[in-house]
Formats: sequence, structure tokens, C-alpha cells
Amino acid sequence: MSRLIDIGLERLSNILYKMGDLAKETVSLSFDCYTKKVEDHAKVQLGSQNLVFLSETIEDQAVELIARYQPVASDLRTIKSYMKIAYDYSRCGRYAWDITFTHKRLNIDLADCKLPELPLDEMSEKVLEMVDKSVEAVRKHDIDLAQTLSKMEQEIDDMYIKSLDKLTEPLPISAKCVVANLLFVRHLERIADHASYIGEAVIYIVTGERVILR
Amino acid sequence: MADALKMETKELSVSFGDVQAIKKISLRILPNKVTAVIGPSGCGKSTFIKSLNRMNELVPNARITGEVLLDGENIYNRSYDVTILRMKVGMIFQKPNPFPKSIYDNVAYGPRIHGIHDKNRLDKIVVENLKKAVLWNEVSDRLGASAMDLSGGQQQRLCIARALAVEPEVILMDEPCSALDPLATAKIESLIRALIEDYTVVIVTHNMQQAARVSDFTAFLYLGELIEYGNTRSVFENPQNKLTENYITGKFG
Repeated sequence: MSRLIDIGLERLSNILYKMGDLAKETVSLSFDCYTKKVEDHAKVQLGSQNLVFLSETIEDQAVELIARYQPVASDLRTIKSYMKIAYDYSRCGRYAWDITFTHKRLNIDLADCKLPELPLDEMSEKVLEMVDKSVEAVRKHDIDLAQTLSKMEQEIDDMYIKSLDKLTEPLPISAKCVVANLLFVRHLERIADHASYIGEAVIYIVTGERVILR
Repeated sequence: MADALKMETKELSVSFGDVQAIKKISLRILPNKVTAVIGPSGCGKSTFIKSLNRMNELVPNARITGEVLLDGENIYNRSYDVTILRMKVGMIFQKPNPFPKSIYDNVAYGPRIHGIHDKNRLDKIVVENLKKAVLWNEVSDRLGASAMDLSGGQQQRLCIARALAVEPEVILMDEPCSALDPLATAKIESLIRALIEDYTVVIVTHNMQQAARVSDFTAFLYLGELIEYGNTRSVFENPQNKLTENYITGKFG
């Protein structure tokens, strides 16, 4: 006989999986908007807003499960972590929205802002891969996959620092371009952080250990 | 856990005839802490707690091996005085069991048995212990009334006051709230937390949330064996044994 709490946990998982897919899609779309001039700002905004709504839904349902069943052990760790992961997904969505907002607000043509030393493509690809891995780690409760985020996060940090250094030098691009690139790498770095937080939460669910992947 | 131990069991086994209820349990009970013993029905938790003040000896076919140390001394030594033991280690049972006497006489009963008959001294003991058991405000104007007229929760707190009146060092509680409503349960739980300032408490409970709320350490027993023991937060957040995990999450039991 299944436990009553299992029905609630399954419902939470389903919303979280949906959020993972949406976060991935929203982040990916925002990169396309920025780097490939895809005009999908509204869709990114909608994705971000939906992620916030779903995050709040998870929080409400998680609180209800706590109130009803007083969960302990792996149930408790799962509920606590799902709330946290939902928040992380919503933050990824928010940074995606910020990326498109910046792009739209500054109204720049990225072709004018190119700096060969800035690893924007490599960074965005790696960040997307991190989001993808974090989503998979959540779905499969895969701690090995979650662990791989640590090294990737470090690589993103290195690229971010390098970009910062570069962007504070005298450059042959406009101030607008400097700001746009700076904000873009900053948002990438933040999304990578949230992907690694998600990895940490997965490890906590499975092992009960609090690790830091950053 | 470098602190001095208040009690300790070493390879404690208890059998009733052919049935072994407790199997070589070694457990450390720290002073001024609440230790909860949890486990499914029939796991031996009541037998375990009763062995901490030699109550199983009253069962005709009981056989007890191993040691139970109180302040380092084995209470099963032949020379150990059971009267002293019962004074040092009090017991509260599942169902409140006040004597069919007045509230006052229930609390004064133990001290009288131990030779205290001076009225002023007894008055002081009664008031002090009713206050400790957080019952004084509810009964101060009717100490002569029958204890049987009190509510279940009040009766249980009276039993606690009665146990405290003989100045124990350890208080054993066997499902002390199972017959009480949530409000009375909450009062007893608050009382348990207050008691550890002066006493060591061991509580057996079926209610996992209660163990999580009141205890500092939790021991999980299954089929007479100690499966896991640790600080309560760890046991309830991240149990190390799959059996513990399955039991406290309600997957069996």
C-alpha cells in the first residue's frame, strides 16, 4: 500500500520536472536572442513568469505536505530540496529574462560588440550544458551527474573572471557593448551558480550530505 | 560524546521463557538529556525501558544478561538496593495511574514511605513538585480533592509530580502521552523539556513526531535489536540505516 505522502511527492516531482524543462528552454532561448538575434523576448519573459508561478506552486504544495504529514528523513530532504531547486529554476528563468531585457534595452547589434578574447559562445554552451545536466540530475536523482557540475562551474568562473579583466581594459567597442557583454557574462555566471546549487540539492536528497559544488 | 554517562546498557539481553525480547543492546544515556526509544510494536522498547529500573524482574520467567550501569554501577549487582534504585530511577506509565487518594496524598506518598512525616516538610515537597510538574496553578485550591477527579492530562502530570517527589535522577516514561489529547500532550512535552534541567529522561514513544519534538537522542529498536542510535536531528533528517529510514517514513511498522 502506497503512503499518502507519496501522492503529494509525485505531484511535486512532476511540477519540478516541468520546471526543469521550461528553465532549460527559457535559458536557451535567451541565449539565442542575445547571440543569434532571435526575436523571442516575449517568450522568454513568459517562460520566466511561468517559472516563478510554478516555484510558488511547489512552495505551497510543499508546505501543505509538511503540515499534513510531518515528513522526516528522505521525505523531508526531498521536500526541502524541491523547494530550493524550484527557486533555483525560477532564478535561471529570471536571469534569462534579464539577458533579453538588456539586449532589447540597449538595442545593440552584437556584431559591433564582438571581442575575440571574450569566450561568450563557449560560456553559453557550457552554461546550457550545466542547466541540462542539473535538470537530468534532478530527474534521475543522479549524484554522479550532479558532481560533474562542480568542475564546470569552476570553468565558468574562470571564464567570467577573464572576461571581467578583459572588459575593464581600454577596448575598441562602445560603452554600450561593454555593458551588454559584462551583463551577459554576469548572468551566465549566475545561472551556472544556480545549476550547481541544484546539483548540491540532488546530492543532499540522496545522501543527506551537504556539499558545496562551487 | 565525551560527557559522563548517566546510564549505560552493555550487551543487555532480556528473555521471557524462550522468547528473546532484547538482544545485546548497548546504549549510552547522557545526563540532562532526553533519550527517545522508538520502534514498531513488539520491538522490545517497553522491555528495554523497564530493564533500566529492574521492573522486568517482576515477570516470573524473565532472564536478564548484560549490564545496566547507573552512574557507573551495575544495577543488576546482587548488592544493589532496589529501593534505592527505584528512588533514583522513577517511572511514568502509558496510562496515568494516580492512587485513589487526594492530590496531596499522591505527591506525599513516596516521601512518607521514605520516612518523611513532618507536615511542613511534606507541604513544601507537595507544592514544589506540583509546580515542577506544571500542575500547581490548576490544583492549588483543591489539594484535598480526589486525584481521580482530574482530567487524564492532569492525572499524568500528577504522576510526574509523584515521581519527582522522591527526588529521582532519571525519569523513565513509557508512552506517557498515548492516552492524552493534543493539548495535554503538548503540556507534557513542554514539561519533559523543562525537566532535563534537573533530570535525565528516557522516553518510549510510538509517536515519531513526539520523539523528534522532545528528544536530544533517539534509539531505534527493531526485533529486539538496536538498529540505530544518534542525535535526534541526524536520525530524523538523515538516518544511516535503511530500516530506520523505512520505519520513520512510515514505509513499514
